[in-house]
Amino acid sequence: MQVPNKLTPFFENLNFERDDNTMVINFGPQHPSAHGQLRLVLELDGEQVVKAYPDIGYLHRGIEKMAENMTYNEFLPTTDRLDYIASTSNNYAYALAVEKLLDIEAPRRAQAIRTMLLELNRIISHLFFIATHALDVGAMSVFLYAFREREFAMDLMEDYCGARLTHSAVRIGGVPLDLPANWLENLAAFCDKVDYEVEHTYEALLTENRIWKMRLEDVGVISAEDALNWGCTGPMLRGSGVKWDIRKEEPYELYSELDFDIPVSDRCDSYGRYRLYMEEMKQSTRILRQLIPLYKETEPQLMAHAPQYISAPKEEIMTQNYALMQHFVLVTQGMRPPRGEVYVPTESPKGELGFYIKSEGDPYAYRLKCRAPSFFHTGLLQKLLVGTYLADVVTIIGTTNIVFGEVDR
Amino acid sequence: MRKYVPKDNVQKKAYYTDRFHVVPRVPREKVIDTHFEATVFNLGDYVKDSYIEIGQLVVHIDASENFAVLKILKEQCGYTQCSEQSAVDYLAKDGEFELFWQMLNVNEAKRVRVVCRLKEGLAIESVEPLFKSANFAEREMFDMFGIKVNNHPFLKRILMPDDWEGHPLLKTYPLFGDEFASWYEVDKIFGKEYRDIIGPENRDPGKIDIEDTKRFSRVGYEVPFGTEYNADEEVDIAYSETALVNYNKKTSKQLDERR
Amino acid sequence: MAQHQVNYASSAGLPIALTSVDKLVNWGRSNSLWPLTYGLACCAIEMMASGASRYDFDRMGTIFRASPRQADVMILAGTLSKKHSEFARRLYDQMTEPKWVISMGSCANTGGMFNTYATVQGVDRIIPVDIYLPGCAPRPETLQYAMMMLQKKIRRESADMKKNTKQDLTTQTGKRARLI
Repeated sequence: MQVPNKLTPFFENLNFERDDNTMVINFGPQHPSAHGQLRLVLELDGEQVVKAYPDIGYLHRGIEKMAENMTYNEFLPTTDRLDYIASTSNNYAYALAVEKLLDIEAPRRAQAIRTMLLELNRIISHLFFIATHALDVGAMSVFLYAFREREFAMDLMEDYCGARLTHSAVRIGGVPLDLPANWLENLAAFCDKVDYEVEHTYEALLTENRIWKMRLEDVGVISAEDALNWGCTGPMLRGSGVKWDIRKEEPYELYSELDFDIPVSDRCDSYGRYRLYMEEMKQSTRILRQLIPLYKETEPQLMAHAPQYISAPKEEIMTQNYALMQHFVLVTQGMRPPRGEVYVPTESPKGELGFYIKSEGDPYAYRLKCRAPSFFHTGLLQKLLVGTYLADVVTIIGTTNIVFGEVDR
Repeated sequence: MRKYVPKDNVQKKAYYTDRFHVVPRVPREKVIDTHFEATVFNLGDYVKDSYIEIGQLVVHIDASENFAVLKILKEQCGYTQCSEQSAVDYLAKDGEFELFWQMLNVNEAKRVRVVCRLKEGLAIESVEPLFKSANFAEREMFDMFGIKVNNHPFLKRILMPDDWEGHPLLKTYPLFGDEFASWYEVDKIFGKEYRDIIGPENRDPGKIDIEDTKRFSRVGYEVPFGTEYNADEEVDIAYSETALVNYNKKTSKQLDERR
Repeated sequence: MAQHQVNYASSAGLPIALTSVDKLVNWGRSNSLWPLTYGLACCAIEMMASGASRYDFDRMGTIFRASPRQADVMILAGTLSKKHSEFARRLYDQMTEPKWVISMGSCANTGGMFNTYATVQGVDRIIPVDIYLPGCAPRPETLQYAMMMLQKKIRRESADMKKNTKQDLTTQTGKRARLI
């Protein structure tokens, strides 16, 4: 007989049946299709969800607390671990917020490289979305194909910054490195590859697929008004017919010079969102292709010139006394931005990723708040899951495309 | 002598600040003649102070009027989304929290930050009936700062476990956690009596424990996992074999004769 | 005419292989290690990548299982927060013997860069770990190498799991229960 103690209590004997004929089912925190450590407590009436209660915080790592105890440059690698599927978009959002606070602007070549990396990360993230979403719905082969292409994108990222997952490829005030040789050629080849695969593999496999349509159509429906009210951004909002993309509306970097469309779907369901993701990947390759000539026209300066905040290039540090002194002060004490507060939104692959920074003039941020899109999309599950069937729960979690690094922070 | 650390703010401080260092302030612009003018006009007497800071309107209001202000912003000014809501801890300095709501107008691409000051121990009115996104945001604020929210449908801890003690983002809460936090998982899984066996957490990333056989810390004296060893006894270095080279095989060419 | 007769003992042992039970059992165990899909954070993405097209974990007999009851190896991929620690231990308890644990990534090994109030400073505080896998995040090749190292370790072990020394924090006997 099993002896209950602290390690082996009788969880199996808990009585989940209740008088009102509903059953409480516990989903997660270890569940293969929960996209991380999501725990859902679902109240079921038969197969139908009556009440959903997302329980998050299983990946809470105290990143906001860390930000208060780290200098601005120290904190940058930590932002990698927020949305770890598209790390550069976090690095960038943070760097942009600090740059706005310091009132500096990255040089044009750095802007071109950043925009490239952001779009590359968008493709990586969307490929990951389609891989896991298809896997959750049951299409294993799409997972394998999408990961194949994702590895090529990872190779490009690896060529640029040396890391596959946690890039830290953006610095406050610019980028650390210029593009390596042959990178642009590889990028162009990758764009062709993605365009071909999106059209001939994923869309060919899924768009008209009977099972895929039956699983996704009219599942996870959310109206435009509700989407705004629940704080949805990114594809969740555009999937409900609201044309809102921060790249277009509040442009940063080179997006104002680029020619691209914002796909919008007014189907409001998972299928519409899936089409949106596919279309966004095509738009991303379109942006990347336009960036290649833009990059070639730029001057080879990579970091902004702001001696008070940003170290000079290495050659100057090694040759000029004043640059060395500034570098020493910045490394040992950290930069001291002016007193003030800033909130900067950027369009990350998941939605609006914004950093609110409150600075009191110290080298440590007085308060840093990361506005993570997935956090609010997780909150939306309370509404989205009610009334659906248990089998659709996984589809709906997949379509919200949540990443727990940034939900829990 | 141990360095004095103020108890009410344990945030890391700059170890050196120039005596003549003057902290500048981010420039604040006037609202007059900008596209935010209508918003401030609509809010009328609720506004205590308003200015534009880095492209966004900042409106200071009274803490008791937050619901009314957000209602006007939503219904009359078109700010249909509450992107973010949180607090900043000013307890050590002023005995207050600073709360902010980050509002977004999708049609006109405008952002407003509504800011108010809340005295310690007071509760704020929930804006959940207006913006459902505040549901999670207010719970997070309660979890992280301990700010009570009136009329919230389900005010419970969200990120930390339900039985957690303390509110982590307060300035009084240390980064490494307090006594409760450092033993939380041991107490929860094994019970308090196992604290002795498991031992305290290692918070020093540079620590090298010469007795530790498993974390590659016995530099030069690595032994396989679980091997009993005697500290006096000298052990051969065991390298992990690779397919190409067997480092454990003694060859005449092996130059490294470290013990 | 007796040339067709094979001397099994002297020739290189064609249809017969002589081995010990330990080796036979360990051969079986080490070549079909089924890990639990226990993705916690960033490392989980690399764990998925090592199961996917390019790195292809399946060729090593490693097939991810969703249930702890079917799994032999628990790959703790990512940061273990204090809120989650209880469930990690429960999943470990639910796995059937023999079981092994790979701690993947710096966060799982020591807490890594997240030296904060909310993270468990090393999963070995609650679960006995066999292989520590450094990196943030470790590349898929590293995970495969760790799996090969684990196979090697299993082949060295005794088939009788009771003889294998393991960290067992649950033993009530003696304060200095083996803290491995």
